[in-house]
Amino acid sequence: MSIQNATANASAATNPFRAGSPHIWVRGLFLLAIGTAFMLSSAPARSQAPDTPSSAPSIVQADVKLVIGGDTIKNNSKVTLSVVGGSLHVATNKTTVEVTVPSILDIFTNEDSRQDITGAAHLATMAIPYGGSRVLSLFSHNVDVLTLEFTDANGGYHGAIFVLGQGQAAPIKKQLVAMGAKASVPLEVAAQTSK
Amino acid sequence: MKQHTRAAVSVVACILIAGSLLAQPHPFDTSSGQRLSSSSIQIQPVDPGDVPLPAEFSVAVYENLITQIGKTGKFQHVYRSGDKDAATAPDLVTLRMTAQSFNKGSQKKREVTTVAGWSSLTLKIHIADHTGQTLVDRDVQGKVRFFGGNLNVTYDFSKKVAAVVRDTF
Repeated sequence: MSIQNATANASAATNPFRAGSPHIWVRGLFLLAIGTAFMLSSAPARSQAPDTPSSAPSIVQADVKLVIGGDTIKNNSKVTLSVVGGSLHVATNKTTVEVTVPSILDIFTNEDSRQDITGAAHLATMAIPYGGSRVLSLFSHNVDVLTLEFTDANGGYHGAIFVLGQGQAAPIKKQLVAMGAKASVPLEVAAQTSK
Repeated sequence: MKQHTRAAVSVVACILIAGSLLAQPHPFDTSSGQRLSSSSIQIQPVDPGDVPLPAEFSVAVYENLITQIGKTGKFQHVYRSGDKDAATAPDLVTLRMTAQSFNKGSQKKREVTTVAGWSSLTLKIHIADHTGQTLVDRDVQGKVRFFGGNLNVTYDFSKKVAAVVRDTF
């Protein structure tokens, strides 16, 4: 009901040929200002809508180990891999390295096993008597190894190796290949050969 | 008499100068035992040849080698394969690698048995100057015998290649 009245008042206010009281002019200007504000605010929201899916990461894998080849990122760092737009982002808390899809020369996925106890803890286990450390060495888990070959802006060849949880490498390779990245070994073949 | 003496002295001088010029070692000559000199090196990716070398090992060899060669401090520039700037380097030497043998091994076997599961990787390294003359051509083997992951074999290999480069340049 109130909306109908406001509309009527607005139509009266926006008609320059109709004489009215100053209150009506003020209301008209107020409604005009609000309408303009709505129009301006909604326009960019609509124009951004199609861009949102491309800028949002389609695949995100956290807690990935960058074994080597991170350029500015130290070897054996924990990174987050994400496919954003037309590139693969390798991010730590401090820095992000971007590998664009056209610069990717090849992608490989492989399976390997990693010991659950590594680093300083592994050294500590060596002190266990009666060969206890050898028993602990038996415990390992399967992981995926993702290997990328790519070029930098100057054409220089680079390689990077990532260790992910089991089954996490294939979706990234699939996504990158779908976006146009080159892969000499198709995903299906890679899965068969690794078994 | 004086003219004969002058002529003889000048001939001897010419012979000595010519001899000294011929005795100048070639900048890349290894036969004299002197070290070679070059300001830049370009490293090519591993050629697996017929050896089933997994991609991660090939990449790890390359990246480790870039780091280790850089650490030697023998070259002002260490260029990656395909780097456009390498084309302008005047005395560029090129390092190529071809896989000879590879045994992935097993970290679990190594640490449980200590006598099995060794990883080993043998690559032929070939270093040539910009004219194509061979400077170094030999096999280098990387090994992991006791501790560490299988990929550590690439680190061991790179350290040994860096030692060869250090001895040569």
